[in-house]
Amino acid sequence: MAQVVVITSGKGGVGKTTSSAAIATGLAQRGKKTVVIDFDVGLRNLDLIMGVERRVVFDIVNVIQGEAKLNQALIRDKRVENLAILPASQTRDKDALTKEGVQIIIEELSKEYDYVICDSPAGIEKGALLALYFADQAIVVTNPEVSSVRDSDRILGVLQSKSKRAEEKREPVKEHLLVTRYDPARVERGEMLKLEDIQEILAIPLLGVVPESESVLRASNTGTPVILDAESPAGLAYGDAVARFLGEERPHRFLEVEKKGLFKRLFGGRAA
Amino acid sequence: MSAEPQPRAEPFRLRGANFNLLVLRLLDARIDAVVPALGDQFKRAPGFLRFAPVVIGLGDLAVPPAEMDFVALVRELKALEIVAIGTTGGTPELRQAAIAAGLPPLRQSGGDEAAPSSAPAAPATAPVNPPPAPLAPSGLRPTMIVDQPVRAGQRVWAQGADMIVTSTVNAGAEVIADGNIHVYGALRGRAIAGGADNLGARIFAQNFDPELVSIAGFYAVREGLGKAPIGRATQVRLAGESLRFDPFGA
Repeated sequence: MAQVVVITSGKGGVGKTTSSAAIATGLAQRGKKTVVIDFDVGLRNLDLIMGVERRVVFDIVNVIQGEAKLNQALIRDKRVENLAILPASQTRDKDALTKEGVQIIIEELSKEYDYVICDSPAGIEKGALLALYFADQAIVVTNPEVSSVRDSDRILGVLQSKSKRAEEKREPVKEHLLVTRYDPARVERGEMLKLEDIQEILAIPLLGVVPESESVLRASNTGTPVILDAESPAGLAYGDAVARFLGEERPHRFLEVEKKGLFKRLFGGRAA
Repeated sequence: MSAEPQPRAEPFRLRGANFNLLVLRLLDARIDAVVPALGDQFKRAPGFLRFAPVVIGLGDLAVPPAEMDFVALVRELKALEIVAIGTTGGTPELRQAAIAAGLPPLRQSGGDEAAPSSAPAAPATAPVNPPPAPLAPSGLRPTMIVDQPVRAGQRVWAQGADMIVTSTVNAGAEVIADGNIHVYGALRGRAIAGGADNLGARIFAQNFDPELVSIAGFYAVREGLGKAPIGRATQVRLAGESLRFDPFGA
């Protein structure tokens, strides 16, 4: 049986899709058979970030409505083995998703894959609720910003009351905190929330901290999950997070301001 | 040094005490009609009434005892985390059937549904007051204890009781109690104590940083808390018609 993992946040624009792409790719790199589903029907993005947008034929709505077989809609990644993407529909709205339809898809995928990653849309409406409903684990993506933390708090409450596990009174969904766009310099200047403050409010185990990095934007524009960029701090941080997710112990890094060497200071080099 | 355990003069004491209890007045003898409806109601207020003792009101039932399965009722209520502790009112036959199922008849003090004097008084159960319509500041039900953080968008209500939150109340969350509210973590959301008329209720927070506090309808929003000891261990009480904020502890 696969583990169903929802990547969620409540708030939009915090890095759910970037994180979904990176974590799914990271799990596949480590030999886990992984499929990542885009639940953002109407605003599909995952295929862009994964660089497969030109290969989309069918999508999740086609599968739910019986217009295509699941295997026809799955896109296999060309860079990493063991990785597949189930894209969202661009032309339908979220009402096209049904609980029964999603359940059939997840059950089917569970037979073949080790991890089913659900990339949730923002908000707490139908699409987001369906993305988290079947989850065994949740990765809550949060920016060091008050409104993002508040929305993550809200989504944690929803996980505890509206997920299938909660409804069936089974063991609760396992929660992980992933802080993204963390900028130690701005934290030091008091412009961003400190990691400890976020942890204190949300009170769930920390999976990782991904530093603000130019490489993330570059990666999404070129359709390469940032975890494949072994040079970038963000890619390394996602690598650490995946390792921790699989039970490895890794120290947290990128939490302090990087001391610029004399050379960098003279020539104004910027961290990539 | 070995000290002989001091034998106590008496092994127990028997005292009368008054309790406020909820009465579940059955209007329908069919358990498969009552329990799902009850379950629906509690689904809307999860945590509310968890393991609360209730008395089954039989006064509105006009059925022969054979049609009322008390054993099944107790079992189904327990599944909803509601504990039936006795009955009130009803025909003597119904009461006898309830006794057989382990539900003793309770006497309502001053109520009109008094059990007949011949009914055996249950020694372990205290007399029952009428159900609390407006809650008297005395007679509170058992304290509700919340061990999870109360998160944005969540609302927890301790009806007719005190509330203790061992974790935090986050911004955007709301805790409501008809009695006092204690928050052993940070209080960052709203805390509403004292119901409608319990002027003596207080709010205690280890780290006081609320969006709004209210006691018995007198409230203050954060903007009005300029002089309150924000971030410290604080208790809030009503002094006349205004809220008073005092640091407590060291």
